[in-house]
Amino acid sequence: MVVIDQVARPEETSVDAGERIVDATLRCIARWGLAKTTLDDVAREARCSRATVYRAFPGGKDSLVCSVVAVEVERLAAGLRRTLAEHAGDLEDLLVAGIVHTARWLTAHDALRFMLAHEPELILPRVAFHQMNQVLEVACAIVGPALAPHVGADGAGRAAEWVARLVFSYTLSPSDAVDVCDEDSVRVLVRDFVLPGLTHRATATR
Amino acid sequence: MQDQRERILEATYACVARYGLGKTKVEDVVREAKLSRATIYRYFPGGKDQLMSEVIAWEMTRFFVRLADAVAGAPDFSHLLEEGLVFAHRAIEEHDVLQKVLETEPERLLPQLTVATHSILRAVSAFLEPRLAAEADRLRPGMTPARAAEYLARMILSFIGQQGRWDLTDREQVRQLVRTELLAGVTRDTL
Repeated sequence: MVVIDQVARPEETSVDAGERIVDATLRCIARWGLAKTTLDDVAREARCSRATVYRAFPGGKDSLVCSVVAVEVERLAAGLRRTLAEHAGDLEDLLVAGIVHTARWLTAHDALRFMLAHEPELILPRVAFHQMNQVLEVACAIVGPALAPHVGADGAGRAAEWVARLVFSYTLSPSDAVDVCDEDSVRVLVRDFVLPGLTHRATATR
Repeated sequence: MQDQRERILEATYACVARYGLGKTKVEDVVREAKLSRATIYRYFPGGKDQLMSEVIAWEMTRFFVRLADAVAGAPDFSHLLEEGLVFAHRAIEEHDVLQKVLETEPERLLPQLTVATHSILRAVSAFLEPRLAAEADRLRPGMTPARAAEYLARMILSFIGQQGRWDLTDREQVRQLVRTELLAGVTRDTL
């Protein structure tokens, strides 16, 4: 989680306030969960007034939570895009780096970990069955463009979705055989299972 | 007796179909099963909470038994995967009770399904492994039935949950999916 300046600056823009409130919310969730977190808690944690919280998030807790999700998805996406850009030259490196980056981010996310362990009823309905299709679509939008030069524009969406499935499976149900946060372990997974399928598909469609 | 336990679970399932997981009461199960309250509690001393978690596990087991039946006649391993994906996808979509609960009270169902994921993965993997071992001469060099089974179990569960960009009612797409994302790294002669 991002460490932020705890002291409010008088000339602070509302963007700063919003981000500080989002980070404060994440710390509250990591500590005692989403259900018990109130806007008062968030204001105290962010060292601002309740009025400031309401001004930034007029919809109250629901709209705050929506913003937290949006901000976190964008943070993950930004980090992931940087990682993918650094490994753009080689498909194997690209896949390994992208999977490891995302898996580490997800498993190190304190608020997410708390909710999965203690408030699964609040988080799982957003990531199961039909809802998961939307999560996969977001993953495709982020990862697809990086894969397109290697697997073609047509195959990029499905390829991105494939690796997203792997990341979610191995992070939500850890495996004895594959450590999805470990680069060497993921490289074996990618070489043995993913690359043959991508090259196979590319030759099949040609 | 096993019969009575089964009868109670069947009755519980009927009640869940009618009232949902949250609103079903032990009294409803008593009435539906035509058994005494004492009998219900003898088999399920945890009462309603136990009935709900056991009925979920019971229906999940039934689902995977139906799935195993559906693939029993497949001529080889890749057809087994194709049949399995097509059947499982349709069975989930047409599972009225599941769809209703997912729509109205996912928060009661999904935590239990997620806890069960680990044992489901193991069960699907254990189902696949001997079948992969039987076609061991077709595996790629270095690939073992155990590794392949775990990978395939994860992919299958993922696709049972959501088809994403694939249309699992389309046989041709399913064949392509199995040949690429599932088996290209596992077997040598997938074409």
